[in-house]
Formats: sequence, C-alpha cells, structure tokens
Amino acid sequence: MSAIPLQGDAAPAFVLRTLGGGKAGVSARGGGGATLLFFFKHDCPTCDFVAPLVGELCRRLAEAGLQGVAVSQSDSAASASFAAKHALEVPVALDEDLSASEAYAFDAVPCLVLVSGEGRVLRAFQGFGRDDFLALAGDAAKSCGRAVPPLERAAEPWPENRPGCASRVHDPEVAERLAVRRAAGRLSARRVPIPPADDPFEFFAALGIDDGLPVVPPTEARVLRMLQGTTRSPSEVVALVPPNLVPATVEKIAINAVMAGCRPEYLRVVIAALEAACTDEFNLHGVLATTYFPTPVIVVNGPVRREIGLQCAGNVFGQGFRANATIGRAVQLVVRNLGGGRPGEVDMATLGQPGKFTCCIGENEEQSPWPPLHVERGFRREQSTVTLFAGEAPRAILDQASRSARSLATSVGLCLESVAHPKLHGYGEVLLVVCPEHCRTLEADGWSKADLRRRIQEVTSRPLAACLPDDDCAEGLPPQALPRELLGPDGQLKPETLGIPVPKFRRDEDILIVVAGAAAGKFSAVLGGWVGGKMGSVAVTREIGT
Amino acid sequence: MRESDPVILDPTAEQSPLRRHLSPRTNPLRGPIGLVDIAKPRGDVFLDELEGLLRLRAPRESILRLRKPTFTKPAPPSLRDEITQRCRVVIQALAD
Repeated sequence: MSAIPLQGDAAPAFVLRTLGGGKAGVSARGGGGATLLFFFKHDCPTCDFVAPLVGELCRRLAEAGLQGVAVSQSDSAASASFAAKHALEVPVALDEDLSASEAYAFDAVPCLVLVSGEGRVLRAFQGFGRDDFLALAGDAAKSCGRAVPPLERAAEPWPENRPGCASRVHDPEVAERLAVRRAAGRLSARRVPIPPADDPFEFFAALGIDDGLPVVPPTEARVLRMLQGTTRSPSEVVALVPPNLVPATVEKIAINAVMAGCRPEYLRVVIAALEAACTDEFNLHGVLATTYFPTPVIVVNGPVRREIGLQCAGNVFGQGFRANATIGRAVQLVVRNLGGGRPGEVDMATLGQPGKFTCCIGENEEQSPWPPLHVERGFRREQSTVTLFAGEAPRAILDQASRSARSLATSVGLCLESVAHPKLHGYGEVLLVVCPEHCRTLEADGWSKADLRRRIQEVTSRPLAACLPDDDCAEGLPPQALPRELLGPDGQLKPETLGIPVPKFRRDEDILIVVAGAAAGKFSAVLGGWVGGKMGSVAVTREIGT
Repeated sequence: MRESDPVILDPTAEQSPLRRHLSPRTNPLRGPIGLVDIAKPRGDVFLDELEGLLRLRAPRESILRLRKPTFTKPAPPSLRDEITQRCRVVIQALAD
C-alpha cells in the first residue's frame, strides 16, 4: 500500500552517491531552497515522458534556488544512459539499496516530491497527472518567489493521466530483502551462518536440528513471512516446552514451523497445539520419555480446517496433505529443538512409531451425524480448536458386513478390547476414529456417541478373573493395582469379586470419538493411549487464537 | 531469498551444548545416602538389595528411602528440595 508523504509531512532525509561522484539528497535539518525529487527507473516509459519536464522546470527555476535531484532505482550504467538520453542537468543519485525509495513509500515511478527549504513536503504524486504536475510547478515557482514558467507546448498537449511503473521496492526479491532490513531487531534468535562450502541440508543434519528428513532453511525472510500468520508478538512466550522446560517464544515456534514446511496460516494451529501439549494434564514430558508408543496426536476442529485446507477425508492419516503433514511436524521439531526431546536421550521409545514424525488430522464434521469432538468438550461449533491426545499409531477396525448399529458397535468393541493387551481392562483413553460409512450405519438406527460407548463397554466387559495374570498368561490386571475394597485381609482378592464384570475402559467418556476419512470404505480405526488419568496423560483441547 | 543464503535463525534453545558430567565420586562413601525409588514396579526390590549391601559396606552411614509419586512425571519440587537438604549422596534406581 502506498504511504506517500502528504503535504506538510516531514520529508524523510537521505544522502546518496551521485553519478558524478558527489552526494545528493534531502537534509534532515533543512536549509537552502526547495528541492524537487524525481524518483525513476530507466526502463519506465512514463519516466521517459516526465524526465524532460522535470529537467525544464529545474532549469527555469535553478537560478531562483530550486534544486533538482533525480533519484534512480536502476544501476549506475542504466542511470547514466537515462541521464544522457534526456540531457538531465540535475544530479542523478543512485538509490542502490532502495532505502530512499522505501522511505518515501510510493508504489510507482515516476514519483515527484517537492520539499520546502524547511524540509517539509509541499506536494507529492506518483505516475503522471497533468493537473498534479502543473500544481507542483506552481508550488515550486511560488517557493522560489517566481511566476510559473510556461512548460506545456500547445503543439504537444500532455495527457490527463499516465500511469507509471511499479517501484522496484515491490520486486519480489527486493521486497523480501527490504522486509528483513525493516525487521532488524524484531527477531532475536541467534543468527547461524552456513559455511559457504556446505550444502545447507547436510549442515542441518550435522547440527542435529532435523527429524531425519530434510528441513526448509529458516532464513530471516521466511521466518518473517511465517510470523504474518499470527497477531502475537514474536517475543511472546507461548509455553514451557518439556523436557528441558524451555520458554517457547512465537519467534522460535515460527522458526521451527518454517523448517517443518508450514505455510504462515498454519502457525496459529501449531501455537495452540503447543499450548495444549505443554500442560500438566497432557504431560508431554512423560509422553516423550516413555519406552511405550505415544506421540501427540493432533485433532483439529472448527472452521480453521477449511481455512487452511486441512485434510479430514480420504487418507487423513496418510501422506499428501501439506497442512496435516507440516503442523504435526512443526510441533515435533519444537519439542526436539527447543525442549531437547531427542530419541535415545530423553525420548526412550523402544520402537516408536511413524506418528512421531507428524500426526495431525481434521475431524470430518460435515460427514458426522454427531456433535464434533470440540463441541462435546465444551466449545462452540464455530470455534476452532486443537485436541491433543497421546496416542499410538492407528490400527484397523474392519467391519464390512454389519447392517445394524448394534452389530457394528459389537465389532468395534471386540476390536477395541485388544488395545495394549486384551487382558488389560480398566484402560484409560483411546481415540476412536469412525469412518463415514460406519457413521451411516449407526445413524440409520439413531445411535448416538453415548450409545456407541455404552455398547463398547458391554461387549468388552469380562469377569475380573479373566483379567488377572495366570499360568497361561502372566500379563493382566495385577491384584495390587485393584481397588482395596476388592481385597480381603490377606491381601488376596475376595472370591466373590472374581465374577465382577470389568469393562475395557474406566469410564465411557474415556472413549474419544471423532469422525474422519473418505466417504467410501467400511474401515474405522482406533488409536490406543498411554497411561491414562492423573498418573499419565489426559487429552487436552485448546481454542486456536489469532 | 534463496536457499543458498548463508544465514539461518537458530531453532534451538541457544544453550551451549550440554555435556552432563558425573558429580565427583565420594570416596570413602559418606552419608546421608538417599535411595530414590522412581515408582516403577519392582524398583523397591532392587533398592532393598542395594540398601542391604550399603549397610554392610558403610554401616555407620545413614540411609534414607525416598519415592517419586509416579515414574511418568519429573520429581515434584518438594521431593527435589528434600533430596537437596537431607542427602549428601543420592542413588536413583530404575527397575522394570
């Protein structure tokens, strides 16, 4: 957007090298006569048209004290050629780094600015307008105490208007360089020079700041672009990231988001995910450190899914969707690079799982007959949220035969019983991902999420005796972990307790249900959890801010 | 900017590389000795054995038994304070 100075504004001061080896510009202190600045570039036809008019005006008023300065956005050879073509007598200043052009904030050349002897803008315009130029000539003459010199020839009438050409500050590469210069001091991260002989990607791998896949180099320009994705200050601390409890500023998150390949509009989702992950309830430290499988599984709800193109339908856990792939990856890179959570150090996973690269899905709310996850968890449908769940990799729930809700829910329950181990009942949270075709079957019989949960608990209920370790299988619910009221004075289970039915999950609401996936296919999925409850990790939902 | 640009912003916590050095060994062993059970199953069995050995080898030194509430989370500040104030030597045991 043009922010060309207005009449009465202080004219930005600058001094530039001229073609003749001298210096020219606008003094901060003012003094002397008025100055006419003519910003141009050599390949602009409107600049070609205006140059003789500027030359003529300056020539006529030079004796009366008007100083002209032609400020070139072109290189010295092209500028010299332009000056020669138009026989310019005014000094030609070279705006090599475009700092003067940027200070005057015009969008197009030519740009003419008349500055008073006191350093105030008398008139400024860009492109060419007949009335504008005549008014400027009048002001210039008036500032010199002279009458307006005749400039327009009857034989060659001027056009009413003639648009100029884009100022070079808007050339993509130049604009980025200028943005970095403007932002000097806004970013506080340490600058790391890449040795010139090194391939940047090999350099990052050597530093240990990647996740095993190549990362996008986080240059200042890219990080500044990323920061446009949030209204939050770069220095704002979002969370303390485990395991080292390092303050994560918006800037540091943006750097890692660049590396992950995020677009700027994803940044606020990454920030919200980290806010959720770094809560005591989610217990990222434990999720990271355990030898078990969990990773932060990010479920996104609300309008943001459509705004950023987050996949909610086919192959939702798979490859090919930039938002899904990079949001989860950015969270993981922050944990690694800021928190210090690296495999083999604090991350002691025995096997790990592919979701530790990235795991982020959107709920397919449009295909769901039920309130979406975030509405169940206390948010409004029009709010955008992230829910973090410490989950295993998804595993299949196959049922292509059921035509009734009861049959399908029974299948789901049977599949869920094997999470972690079939004998481990009283389990904490799981994430059940129901595909749209299965939704249709449940919807046709009018089943709610609560009905589905209830049936899963019924199907999975086993007598306590079947859940205990025995000679055939030493795994199971250890008696010492059971409620004391079930134990006799000898510390052994009371005989009458052995028939108590124990469902798979501690509470119905421990079965988190979201709808996702393609319209075709009768395949749902379950993601097992980790240690549930206060001793482990509990799913956390946060609203996505701006 | 192109990828050949030579400067990037540091994505890390900007702490110098941390090298964890072992604390100086105490020789001879001088207490009080804290034995910290991180609350993994059978950690107490291991620590019981260790305590027996220590009582044989350093019979004059006092031994404290301490326990984290859960192995899944870092020790709470109160436990860290207790260790700092009451123990000269700490042995933390992991069993599984």
